[in-house]
Amino acid sequence: MSHIDPVLTKEKAIDTVTPVKSSRRRIVTALAGVSATVFLTGCATNAPQDTFVPKGPNAKIIDDLNMIVFPIAGVVGVIVLALATYIFMKFRDKGQAIPAQSHGKPYVEITLTIVPALILTVVGVFTFRGIFDLAETKDTELIINVTGQQWWWEYDYPVQADQGISQPIISSGQLVIPVGTKVLLRETSRDVIHSYWIPALNGKKDAVPGRIHLLRLEADEPGIYAGQCTEFCGLSHANMRMEAVALSKEDFAKWVAGQQKAYTAPAAGTLAAEGETTFINQCSRCHQVNGIKDANGKPIISAPDENVYSGAAPNLSHLMSRNTFAGAMFDLVNEECRADVWNAKSEEFGAKYLAGVSEDCLNEKDLRAWLRNAPAMKPMYADPSNLEKSNGLYRGMPNLGLTEDDIDKLVAYLLTLK
Amino acid sequence: MFTPGSKYFLGLTGLSLVSAVLYTIFVNPSDIGAVALFGLLLAGALVAGFSLFTRDGDAETEAEAVEAAAYAPTPSFWPIVFALGAAVVLLGVATHPIVFVLGIAVLVGGGVEWTIQDWAERASADAEFNDLVRHRAIGALDYPGLAAVGLGVIAYFFSRIMLAASKDGASVIFIVVATAIMVFAFLVATKPTLRGKSVALVVTAGALLLAVAGVATAISGERSELVEYAEADHYSKTHRECGEEEGKYYDHEANNTVSLRSAVLATVFVEDGKIRAQMIGLEKDVDTITVPRSNATNILFRNLDEEDHRLVVNLGKAVNDETGKEEELGTCTQLAGKNQEQVLTLNIKKPSSEEQGYSFTVPGAEGEIKVVVP
Repeated sequence: MSHIDPVLTKEKAIDTVTPVKSSRRRIVTALAGVSATVFLTGCATNAPQDTFVPKGPNAKIIDDLNMIVFPIAGVVGVIVLALATYIFMKFRDKGQAIPAQSHGKPYVEITLTIVPALILTVVGVFTFRGIFDLAETKDTELIINVTGQQWWWEYDYPVQADQGISQPIISSGQLVIPVGTKVLLRETSRDVIHSYWIPALNGKKDAVPGRIHLLRLEADEPGIYAGQCTEFCGLSHANMRMEAVALSKEDFAKWVAGQQKAYTAPAAGTLAAEGETTFINQCSRCHQVNGIKDANGKPIISAPDENVYSGAAPNLSHLMSRNTFAGAMFDLVNEECRADVWNAKSEEFGAKYLAGVSEDCLNEKDLRAWLRNAPAMKPMYADPSNLEKSNGLYRGMPNLGLTEDDIDKLVAYLLTLK
Repeated sequence: MFTPGSKYFLGLTGLSLVSAVLYTIFVNPSDIGAVALFGLLLAGALVAGFSLFTRDGDAETEAEAVEAAAYAPTPSFWPIVFALGAAVVLLGVATHPIVFVLGIAVLVGGGVEWTIQDWAERASADAEFNDLVRHRAIGALDYPGLAAVGLGVIAYFFSRIMLAASKDGASVIFIVVATAIMVFAFLVATKPTLRGKSVALVVTAGALLLAVAGVATAISGERSELVEYAEADHYSKTHRECGEEEGKYYDHEANNTVSLRSAVLATVFVEDGKIRAQMIGLEKDVDTITVPRSNATNILFRNLDEEDHRLVVNLGKAVNDETGKEEELGTCTQLAGKNQEQVLTLNIKKPSSEEQGYSFTVPGAEGEIKVVVP
């Protein structure tokens, strides 16, 4: 009879059994952790792109539909998962004999056909109603052309006398709309497919080259509503952001008046005036500032089509009336001023937004870094030695090799563009 | 003797040779297409060589061959075809490249047939066997070749007839001929008694009729408006008639059915002699249309008047680099009849300004729509 060492036996047992238990525990813990994280993200308060917080009637239509479809889908999902789990557990292979095979039960099959059909009919009725409501355009009060390109959005407001727009307005980064107004975006693209999405105001709509897609927005109250391009569009897709700024109708009228203000050249002899010269020499090849003239008084017309793949670069007229730049990737205002605008009460929001970017509020750090080397701030195909695929055209702003003096002058000049 | 496998690859080689030569002459000698065709030629020749060398891997094939016992030439018309080809080549050098190419085709075809026939006649003293040898060598190409030539001739003659007849007449001819062919084919398929001489008679009569009509219409030329198009350079991409109509027929040939709807920025109408516009999404008339800069944009033009009209976009003036003269820039649609539509696709690179205003106008109608490019 051999001698058995109880300690050794126990160690062996630990060696063979513990790793299995341990790995199972780790998997269960990891799954629980991931589930809890996913679940807890729903509790985030600083979530400007939350799809479940509609701020306008169009987003409300989608949200209302979600409130019908999600519970139904949830209940069905739970029932199916529970049944599947029960069947997997109860009838799993335990070495038992194969049971007698039958050819189904007609009443079960009929029930399982009719019940889903009824559920889908109910969901379909509400879905189709929602789709038709969202596609309504006859009562449009304001139209805005929205053009996507790598990697920013251009907004141009056609002449609309009843909205006080007597000459076209062109902007980028921030879409400004009046509250309680049925705004119709007419989306297209200059290069690849993009997708416009402000979750608080409506669903997504693709911007496709050569086509014009309609998307209606309406905001209930003043504020800034964040969004993001949702169709992968290249290197900086993740940085192609947008913000919809809703202003009261009175404030919107002020904004329109501000955007239609004639260009005022900086006073001679100032740093800003030197910046204007730098702008004309360096930036106006692509960026237009409406009304800017050369030394001979001749209007300067930019030619982005000769330099940029999409054929366009943001129009910088009234740049400092916006709060973002570089495709809304960076704030033009510093964190303190940004928080002041974003967190402003509804009745104070308009005044704070319309104040624009003052010298004190300017996010000089990011603006200077952008002017110093834009491709380092935002990934773009802007390497001059690697433009074969785009026929020598840039897909974003290249590094212009500006000196610090140039940047000082340009910052001073840009601050005058209100 | 050529093996069945080698015949296929020799045919491929020959076809590649002809295609490569034509492509090099008429398309682009430095193109990847020419490289591909010459590559196909080499590959076909290589495989054909292997196939011949190995007798398609079938040793018994060799045994079928009968050594040449005597030279037994038979009458042949291929030397005449070859000579005709040479004459046409010379004629083509003096007249037109198409004639030259036609001559080359006849020359090569006649030469190949003549060579193969001569080669086959040396196979044995048995004329029947020699004919079999010739058939094995090139028979697979006879019918496709004849069919290609026949179809080409039919297509050419028929196209001459259609181009010479009036538009309505051409439609009638097409319908009548198509119906006749269908009825005849139906009768042949369902009435076996019709087969034989009567079918051959009808086919021959049809072929003769086609040939006579084709030659006659080829001599008489195309109908007058087509001649006028060509003379006025209306087929050129750059041709525009944006003012008063100059051509008698040109603008009336426009296709007035427009299918695109979701890609239209705005619609311009002419109604009661006045121009008006609507932007998609804003269902009321506007007097200004904003067109995005540097982006292809479609404008739909719909004529609701009795008279024909066209939409013209005026894009200011610019100095022509070549002539040094200031010229008006712009483009236009072709004429649209009542309730018909045309589309104008614009891609405007430069913004409009007070000094350089853009507009839509319709000659013969009142008013204008401003075009703003921000």
